[in-house]
Order: sequence, then C-alpha cells, then structure tokens
Amino acid sequence: MINFNEKKIFEEADNWIKDNKKVSLATVIQTWGSSPLGVGSRMIICEDGNFLGSVSGGCVEAKVIEECISLMKNKKVCKKIDFKVSNENAWEIGLACGGDISIYIEEIK
Amino acid sequence: MKIEIIRETLKNKSLKKEFALITNLINGDSEIFIPGINLTGIFSKYFNEIEKTFNSNKNCIIENSEIFVQTFKNPIKVIIVGAVDISMHLIDFAKNLNFEIIIIDPRGYFASKERFPNTKVINKWPNEAFNEIETNSKTALVALTHDPKIDDDALHYALKNKFFYIGALGSKKTHEKRCLRLIDAKFKKTDIERINGPIGIKLGGKSPSEIALSIISQIVSEKYKNKV
Repeated sequence: MINFNEKKIFEEADNWIKDNKKVSLATVIQTWGSSPLGVGSRMIICEDGNFLGSVSGGCVEAKVIEECISLMKNKKVCKKIDFKVSNENAWEIGLACGGDISIYIEEIK
Repeated sequence: MKIEIIRETLKNKSLKKEFALITNLINGDSEIFIPGINLTGIFSKYFNEIEKTFNSNKNCIIENSEIFVQTFKNPIKVIIVGAVDISMHLIDFAKNLNFEIIIIDPRGYFASKERFPNTKVINKWPNEAFNEIETNSKTALVALTHDPKIDDDALHYALKNKFFYIGALGSKKTHEKRCLRLIDAKFKKTDIERINGPIGIKLGGKSPSEIALSIISQIVSEKYKNKV
C-alpha cells in the first residue's frame, strides 16, 4: 500500500518546525483485523494540540495527541502505542471496527 | 526522525524519485533507501529485506526486526484528451487522490493557461503530444473531446501501449461508431474491449462534476483491480 498524503503532512511539519514549534510524527506501523487506515498512515501533532493527517478513522487520534504532547514534554525520543479491542478502555478510545493497531510516535528534531 | 529526512523525502517526491523511508523503531533513526545505493549502520544489515519490501510496494516492519519501511512510488498518471469542463472537475478530484494529470488539446481556446492554471497542458495534437509524455502500466487515458479527429489518435496510442485504464466519453451510439473505426484501423476486438465506453461507472448524474466523479471512481476501481 502506498501513501500519498505525506507531501501535505511533511510540508506542514516543515512549516511548523520553521516556526520553532515542537512537532511529533505518528505512524501506523502494524494492523491486525479490520483497521480503518493502512500501515504507513501518518499524522503530525504540534505541541499546542494542532494536528494534521490521521492514523485511524478518528477512533484513537485524541489519545495519540495526548501521548505525543507528553512525549515532547518529557523529552522522550519515541514510543510505540498499541490499541487493542481487549484493552479495558477499548470502548472509549479503541477501535469500534474491531481491529488492532500499533502506532509509533516520535518527535521530529 | 530528523527534519532533514522529512525534507529529503519531500525533495525526492518533487523530483519524482521512487524510494523508501526506513525507520529504526528502537531509537527513531531514519534513512532514505534508494534502489542500488548502500545503507548505513543497522539498516545495511537488512538491505535485502528492505529492497524486497520496496519492490513489492509494501509498508511494513521487516520480519524479526525493528525496522519499519514505508515505500514511496510515483503516483498514477492520468492523461486527459480535451481541455473541457469535465477536465476541470477531474483535476479537482485528482488533486485529493494524488494523481498526476496531463491535458492534451490541440484547440488553443480550450487549452489556455487561464482555464487550467497549475496544470500541465499540452496544446498539440495527441500524436505530437505523446512524444513529450512518458507512459507505462501506471498510466490512464481519458478521452473527452468525443471528436474522432482528436480522440482516436490518442486511443490508438493507448491501445498500443500498456495503459491500465482507457476511457472514452460518448453515448453508446458514439462508442459503437468508435469501435467500428477501430476495427477499420485493424485493432482486435479484445483490444477494443479495453476501452471503457461509455466512460465512467453508472451514478446516474449528468452534470460535468458528476461525470468527472464517475470517471475518477472508475479509475480508482481499475487501479485496485489491476493492482497498479
């Protein structure tokens, strides 16, 4: 599967960095079952919570944004977040479609 | 990931290069893979697997590793014959789908820069125009003038080459006549059947934007059918 939204997302990431903002990149690195978006889907998250792109159909974005903000605050390099239906909070932030996804978040330096 | 890698990705995309963006998930280090060029550090260990992933157009984590590969291949090229109203709507849809658009129209009034800003428009007859365009199995042809003088040469070219999609605007009757002309031009029935005519999937719409939507939907559908 080939992604095609990178251009828009990467250009915006570059703009935010040029504006001296802290920016994180979130990437779908693995999926199991029926996931809304394919592997390689990307999203950028600014320290102020602004974001562009997506890693699911809106199911887990809020959690990903929180995780990215905390990653940047705590000056961590990267983290893998798994969203599974079996998670206790699956029905609040998980995937309604029943799939599992693994998302990799990292700060753009 | 370093911003330099993101800038390099953007540069490669604008140069229409095909490449992969590889990331070491343990520490976030990234590198650009370009076929035939060596990789450094841990990535060099997985060169063959990365190359295989790239060749099979996949995005995935290399088995038994923490290396993520995202493949970047050039988008589909859609050649539109006819700088008409439908073409303007096709451009709008294509933008969001990341298709590259080239328009051919020998008629100066139609093929003007004012009507089609930011789009490659070749103001020549199809036979001349195709000398300037590289085509392959990731190319689609959309013939929209329904003027045989213009459309037919483009259709001949597409039928003789590896286009994954060929569509021609016109009613059933227009298409029947077109098929007869192609038979006269010694094209085989199986070749002629490659043409989607009347063009587009049946949505029922008649306006230029609705026709454009039905055409672009058919191209997307054929793209997945043919694994382009």
